[in-house]
Amino acid sequence: MSRSVWKGPFVDSYVLKKAEVSLEGGRNEVIKIWSRRSTILPQFVGLTFGVYNGRKHIPVMISEDMIGQKFGEYSPTRTYYGHGADKKAKRK
Amino acid sequence: MSNEMIFVGAIVGSFGVNGEVRLKSFTSAPEAISDYGPVFNENGTRSFIVSLTGQLKNALSAKLSGVLTKEDADALRGLQLFVPRSKFPKLPDDEYYYADLTNLGVFDAGGVQIGKVKSVQNHGASDILEISQLGKITTILLPFTRQNVPTVDTKASRIVINPPDGLFEDLS
Repeated sequence: MSRSVWKGPFVDSYVLKKAEVSLEGGRNEVIKIWSRRSTILPQFVGLTFGVYNGRKHIPVMISEDMIGQKFGEYSPTRTYYGHGADKKAKRK
Repeated sequence: MSNEMIFVGAIVGSFGVNGEVRLKSFTSAPEAISDYGPVFNENGTRSFIVSLTGQLKNALSAKLSGVLTKEDADALRGLQLFVPRSKFPKLPDDEYYYADLTNLGVFDAGGVQIGKVKSVQNHGASDILEISQLGKITTILLPFTRQNVPTVDTKASRIVINPPDGLFEDLS
């Protein structure tokens, strides 16, 4: 069963506080968080979070299409990355 | 760089009795393994033209030039397949092949070398450079953005980074 709409999205309060401080400061920084269960909110777009995967913080740059997902979805806990082959990286 | 051989796939066994093989492709679109012309073995002594014949569970079935019987196909089990880097098409500005970024020297704005690019990763959000620091075991993960990586010079084998605050201090 999905979460009731009246409750709103779940976000750990410390994540909101850290994001607010970073937005006010306007610095280029990675915001370290351990809360993989928190929902990505619209005010996080443009920020970079370091999402803990049990071993290290994986940098996750938030874009609009990630809103509504959970932070943990972008920080895998297992380490098989495959082979590079012809894969391409785009500098955003 | 153009003579570099890129690992694109492997033969995992034979398929059927007509000399076809089970092929594991590591290209971004698995079928693209046949788009780059003949594939080579690791030292470049043998080459094969790949014609894909079907889709299997976690693999592709393919016919390789010069492989006519099941025995020939069985003998190729475990063979790694490579393509010359020069066969890859040119990319627009700000797009790079993982193979081109790996092993580039990492320098700060002052020209001091920090380390090397160990790998490029993407977990669904954006591309991330894994940087191994000189003289340290730990690696740093840096989002591949214009702000963090203002200069990429593949010809000079170097990138210049402008890391976010606190990224390096935490590990020192």
